[in-house]
Amino acid sequence: MTWWIPLRSLLRNRRRTLLSVAIIALGTAISLFVFGFLEDSRLQIQATTVDEYGNLQIASPDLWDDTTEDYNYLITPETEAQIRQLLGRRDKITGITSQLQFPGLIAAGNQTQVVRITSQVPENDTLNIDAFVIAGRPLRTSDVASVLMGRSLANRLGLTVDDVVTLTLTTVDGAYNATPLRIVGIYRFTSEQVELRSLFMPVAFAQRLLNTSGVDRLIINLESISATNSEAASIQRLLDDAALSFEVRTWDDLSPFYKQLSGFFDILFGFLTLAVFILVFFIILQVLTLAFLERTREIGTIRALGTTRGEVLGQLLLESGWLAVIGSVTGVLLGFALSLGFNALGIQWQPPGTVETSVLSVQIGLLIALPPFGVSVVATLLSAIFPAIQTSRLRVVDALRVE
Amino acid sequence: MENTSQFCHERGLPFLEARALSKTYQVGSSTVHALREVDFAAMQGDFVVINGPSGSGKTTFLNLISAIDRPSEGEVLIQGVSTNTLSERQLAQLRKDKIGLIFQTFNLIPVLSAAENAEYPLLLQRRPKIERAERVRSMLAEVGLGELGRRRPNELSGGQRQRIAIARALITRPKLVLADEPTANLDSETGAQVMDLMRKLNEEHCVVLLVVTHDPAVTKYAKRQIRIHDGRLIEGGQP
Repeated sequence: MTWWIPLRSLLRNRRRTLLSVAIIALGTAISLFVFGFLEDSRLQIQATTVDEYGNLQIASPDLWDDTTEDYNYLITPETEAQIRQLLGRRDKITGITSQLQFPGLIAAGNQTQVVRITSQVPENDTLNIDAFVIAGRPLRTSDVASVLMGRSLANRLGLTVDDVVTLTLTTVDGAYNATPLRIVGIYRFTSEQVELRSLFMPVAFAQRLLNTSGVDRLIINLESISATNSEAASIQRLLDDAALSFEVRTWDDLSPFYKQLSGFFDILFGFLTLAVFILVFFIILQVLTLAFLERTREIGTIRALGTTRGEVLGQLLLESGWLAVIGSVTGVLLGFALSLGFNALGIQWQPPGTVETSVLSVQIGLLIALPPFGVSVVATLLSAIFPAIQTSRLRVVDALRVE
Repeated sequence: MENTSQFCHERGLPFLEARALSKTYQVGSSTVHALREVDFAAMQGDFVVINGPSGSGKTTFLNLISAIDRPSEGEVLIQGVSTNTLSERQLAQLRKDKIGLIFQTFNLIPVLSAAENAEYPLLLQRRPKIERAERVRSMLAEVGLGELGRRRPNELSGGQRQRIAIARALITRPKLVLADEPTANLDSETGAQVMDLMRKLNEEHCVVLLVVTHDPAVTKYAKRQIRIHDGRLIEGGQP
């Protein structure tokens, strides 16, 4: 009927309305803060994962399925050139590089360690490890028998720049090969696992060691993470159309850790949302039941004046709608203020599985605010339905008799 | 008790009729007969006072006439249409368009100003804003509260509140106005002012006015009176 009568009704008992708004706002703000924190953590982990894997990787299904002991998944230089030509015209691709990974055993003094060698093209912007080098220097194209070692591994083995280790490996033909390697640089990474297991060397030298001219994957960087899935699908179609039996994997396909963590965050937020929903629902249910009950005579009066049950129901729901919107908007603003204050503190922490501290921060934005806002609005509206229906169904004569 | 409206002199079919109207309530295992086979009729422009002791069935009678309650037996006809045949929604429509109600305790909506309370039935009728504003202005002037429209009910005296309630009852220009003890919460002087106003409105707007009262002072304003005792109409049922 009108939007302002329910708003006025809401303000008749200011203390009770204030309490209701405070409960909804608090629930929304807490939910928003936690969601913002989880989203920020998720984005940080996302960025780290993309740093490690690139946005997309193209390789033979045999490599992804890990079904072969041989090197029959390698991409020949001719095929690599064909794939690069197919990808050359795509706007969203910002860089392509190739990698050849293989397992090996390094020995330093009387210590040995199983490692994974990641060989790639030095001085290439795609998946560039140079920025992570903290001692020594980055790899150069001309480097031979040189590696970058992770800080955690170097610490474990007591090694530093210019130290020499011996690498033992199996060539693509199945022969054993061994070579001394000089550590030209130490790199750091956010993930301790990466630092412990990965050595980096130029791909040309790795090919010589393995006795091959191939690589095992092509790595693609994109202009944004959000373009990943659509670009993966398009590239897969291109490969299929060209009868190239390769599979495109996205960064989150390649990182089980990210998927598990992301799922855990979803569950955590789900529980929090449920708790906020139940809290808001039951408290507001009680508040509105009381508020509507107190107005039984007034409801009887407006029904006697000709207001239909549906109109009464509409008015009561609109009233709770105002309550929901005012409470939730207040909660969003409170949550933003809380997040800004928290971000300003600049608290440092070391996320699990990482070796770097980072600043604890909370994401702030309208998209972050939408789920907590929606949950509070829905909880408030649902809590109003039962008392509103009960009140609108009162018999007029009975309602008018109530003192 | 002279009628000054030419229209109100017209006689034809009754505007309002009650035929063998009965209402019973179940209280535990016993049945209470609040109203027993009441026959009543009122013509356009009638001003009827309903007397009777407490618990005699006056308010029940008014509730049935005003279509806020349904009879156990018998029927109420307004302009020839039986309210028994109408749905809840149609009864609400009937109350909205044809009936004005005045309550003993005024029953104004506390969050609305005096003017907004008077305007409320027009909002229900979805009248345009300009028309609503004009009608409220003229109605408040008519009940002598033109200057007090912005005040909330709790800022008004009992007499002023009842005048607003009267303005609310009459603003849709209903054909039937029902008042339940309209002076019960007022002092005698204010009660007389309210009744003067109601008589004036009855004469000028030619509405059927049914007033339930215990107050003998109110009776003198009526064109006729009926008495209800133990749920039975004992005198004055027909015009």
